[in-house]
Amino acid sequence: MFNISKLLDEIKSSPYREIIVAAPHTGKIAFAGVEIGARVHGPQGRWKETPGTKLCTLERECNPKPVCAPENGEICQVHRELDGHFVEAGTPLVVLRHMLTRDEVQRIILQKTLYLFPAPERAKYYFTPEADKKIRASDARSVTVHNGMELFIMSRMKREVPLNYTGPDGVIYEVYFKYNKNLDAGSPLVGICPQDHLHIIQNLVMRVQTEWTET
Amino acid sequence: MSDAQPDGILRNHKILVANRGEIAMRIMGACGRLGIPFAAVYTAEDAASGHVSAARGEGGAKSLFRVSSYHDANELMSVADEAGCTAVHPGYGFFAEDFRFARRVTKRDRKMIFIGPSWKIIRELGDKINTKRLARSLGVPTVPGSDRPIYDEMEAERIAKTIFEFQEQQGISHPLVLVKASAGGGGMGIEEVYDPDQFRSVYRRIRNYALRQFKDEGVLIEQRVMNFNHLEVQIVSDRTRMNPVHFGTRNCSIQSTGLQKRIEVAPGFVPEALEYSFDARRVLDDIVAYSLKMARTVGYDNVGTWEWIVTRKGNPYLMEVNTRIQVENGVSARIAQIRGQGGVDLIAEQIRTGLGEPLGYRQEDIGFEGVSIEYRLIAEDPENNFTPWVGRIEGFSWKDAPWLTMLTHVPDRLPYEIPTEFDPNLALAIIYGKDIQEARERGAVFLNSLRLTGRDSAGEPLKSNVAFLKDNTGRILCF
Repeated sequence: MFNISKLLDEIKSSPYREIIVAAPHTGKIAFAGVEIGARVHGPQGRWKETPGTKLCTLERECNPKPVCAPENGEICQVHRELDGHFVEAGTPLVVLRHMLTRDEVQRIILQKTLYLFPAPERAKYYFTPEADKKIRASDARSVTVHNGMELFIMSRMKREVPLNYTGPDGVIYEVYFKYNKNLDAGSPLVGICPQDHLHIIQNLVMRVQTEWTET
Repeated sequence: MSDAQPDGILRNHKILVANRGEIAMRIMGACGRLGIPFAAVYTAEDAASGHVSAARGEGGAKSLFRVSSYHDANELMSVADEAGCTAVHPGYGFFAEDFRFARRVTKRDRKMIFIGPSWKIIRELGDKINTKRLARSLGVPTVPGSDRPIYDEMEAERIAKTIFEFQEQQGISHPLVLVKASAGGGGMGIEEVYDPDQFRSVYRRIRNYALRQFKDEGVLIEQRVMNFNHLEVQIVSDRTRMNPVHFGTRNCSIQSTGLQKRIEVAPGFVPEALEYSFDARRVLDDIVAYSLKMARTVGYDNVGTWEWIVTRKGNPYLMEVNTRIQVENGVSARIAQIRGQGGVDLIAEQIRTGLGEPLGYRQEDIGFEGVSIEYRLIAEDPENNFTPWVGRIEGFSWKDAPWLTMLTHVPDRLPYEIPTEFDPNLALAIIYGKDIQEARERGAVFLNSLRLTGRDSAGEPLKSNVAFLKDNTGRILCF
């Protein structure tokens, strides 16, 4: 059986993740008053409607776009030498040290417990219209899958082919892909939980929620 | 970069190459020949592409910019401003037929030149439905079917039923209906319907595809003309819009199941070497005359292609107009001569006329000699419905010859990971012969010398459509 205590201890021993905030597009950069060591917060609110701490402004075509902290954390590095310069997309701007949240820890643990159906190719993935309709109406956990079921549409190089699910029967517990975003081969598409294991998964989730303290 | 010094109108221009891969390399090459500096863009997925190394090596001071997407107009504009570009060349695909982009380039505070037809012409002819209406108003024959995008399932079914009945009345034994995404192009989002009972499921599939890929679920429904020849007329005009000329015809009839072109031949028909069940010379004259008539009527002012279907009985129908340079322009250029001089470069002509230079020659100055065949080498599995076959290229070689022009963005330094974000096109091979027989034989020599090795993501040997092309060399011109 899966040892959750051991995994939690492992995560607790190094509960940080380094996040490189890069320029989302080209433009002229102007850093806000952020300093190394300052604490910043990520988007907040029920729907993440309040943006995170502003790190810099990227101006392109006379449109200033604030670049905000994607997560809570502490600033470790600021590329001040770029201040006032035109930068290309993907240029690193700021580095944050982020402490893992309950949800992130839960996601890590679920990835070790659920059956993960991997992407066979680097491609964009969509649910079939039937599954998509159900997910939109309620949520992914309302969709029951079985071996051989046509569940995805794989789109690469503008050509689409249906993709069948292979694996144990169960419900879709987690969805790991986003529409219109490419996913690498081997990355999980969905996490499947057999019906009779649902209570075990729920216990795991409960344990993470109670044992993990966020700072 | 070439040492050529631009003169007159071309002086003081700098071009943003707003595209990738093979076409970006060809635009950069044409800029070099005209002596015009350029700036190029690339995305993270394309960092290893040949066009990136070519731009790095030839573009001069800071001429290469990484952008988040080729589809982001803001991104391209900001790079153009930063690099000091005065014109934008869209290549094909992406923004090439987007009239809003063309309008924005020419109307913004810091105005630039859009190297392509003016935005009003793209708006008028880039829309398949408008084109059809315009053609019908000029007495140009078009494929029977809907003349506007259909959004309603019941209406779509009614139109399909009418087309099926029309074909039955015409005595067609296996009537077929074509369902295609109105906003699509390049053979994407097209499916055939054999059985009227299957129409609804195909319609829904195409509608969903169109919504995902083009953000517009409009669908066109047309008669599928079988056993046809797919012909194109290459038109070139300048900003005076006075005297459009044609650079001959091409035959693009060999396509794979996804209606993607695989082999193109110029000229469109070869009546001196092959037999036809109709008067091929008259058909060629007719489609050229119709295309020029439309070009004159709309005041066409750059490079464009009129696409035609020619039935087995020799009836031509206009399909659409591509208001851009096409992938296969090289075959037309290969056999063309201006005042007896070969080496025509249609992309250079497009840049020159796009920047405002007059054409400088008339139709009677253009001549044609020989036959040219283009093979598209594509990473795909011909045994599996031509699905893209991506992975890593470890070896890619062929035997050079004076009659061969190889256009590829696969870099010299291998291995090369084929990005999945774009078309799986690897290379274009243009073969020239003094007649069809010689071109065919040389084509077979080229294909036999071609070596492509590598692995797909599952570790299987990499495939390409070369096997398909080889199998078909005996019937390259199946008209």
